[in-house]
Amino acid sequence: MDELIFFCRTLSVFTETLGTTETQTKHTMNYTIAHHLLYLALSVVTTVWVASTLHKHGRIFLVDAFHGNEKLADSVNHLLVVGFYLINVGFVVFAVKYGDKPTELASLLESLGTKVGCVLLILGVMHFLNIYVFNQMRKNAIIHNAPPPVEPDGYVARR
Amino acid sequence: MKHLTILYDAKCAMCRRIRVWLSQQRAFVPLIFVPLQDEHLEERFPGVGKLNPAEELIAIADTGQIWRGVNGWIMTLWALREYRNWSLRMSHPLLKPFARSICHGVSQNRLRLSHWLFGHSADAAAKLLAQPECKDGSCVR
Repeated sequence: MDELIFFCRTLSVFTETLGTTETQTKHTMNYTIAHHLLYLALSVVTTVWVASTLHKHGRIFLVDAFHGNEKLADSVNHLLVVGFYLINVGFVVFAVKYGDKPTELASLLESLGTKVGCVLLILGVMHFLNIYVFNQMRKNAIIHNAPPPVEPDGYVARR
Repeated sequence: MKHLTILYDAKCAMCRRIRVWLSQQRAFVPLIFVPLQDEHLEERFPGVGKLNPAEELIAIADTGQIWRGVNGWIMTLWALREYRNWSLRMSHPLLKPFARSICHGVSQNRLRLSHWLFGHSADAAAKLLAQPECKDGSCVR
């Protein structure tokens, strides 16, 4: 009799364990999916925000760089923003599979922080690179239009 | 400004080499080179003799302005695409005194420097230059 009870208990414990593992796996899956979705949403929203800021405030640099040719400036501005989107969204999507798989809320937040932080840093580097490119274009324009830097020492009658 | 005329010393080998180098550079304002030994210099540029072209480099714009010494060098660089930023740097009040003394020193010692660097004597160049087919100094390289 004792043996039967022991057997039943072992079975129930076994099924219980089986049940918990299943629910745990389910939980882990949910955390991973939530993590990926949150990561994608946050990263893409930040990318869109940075790109629109660049598009809005970079225009004046480009208009200056292209000697007031607004059409050309707008065109280059648009092309630069497209490149910015391609690189950043490309990186964000590429990086989805890397990093720890979260098993609970705390690790989800930690992992999310690491990945979004990484995206933000890369966005920052890209942003400064873009500003550098804008400024370089503007500097070239300034040099191109620079008047003679020194006053003449005399004049000669024109023939 | 449509072009910039540079007066250079055709007797000095270094000046001729610099002239060749300058003429190979891409320019915002085209450079025209006239040797200061040109007989018609005073006719072409009335009053230029007063500025002692034999002492220092002289740059003359087609609009009539003349720049001499370090200012002439600054204007020469200003005319070139790749070196306009250098001319802006050189004309900065902090750098200009150094640039002035370097330009002055090089101009004053150009024949000695030519002799040291290239072993050319000014007399040989003067003989070549005296030939009638070499009025513009182009045959003396």
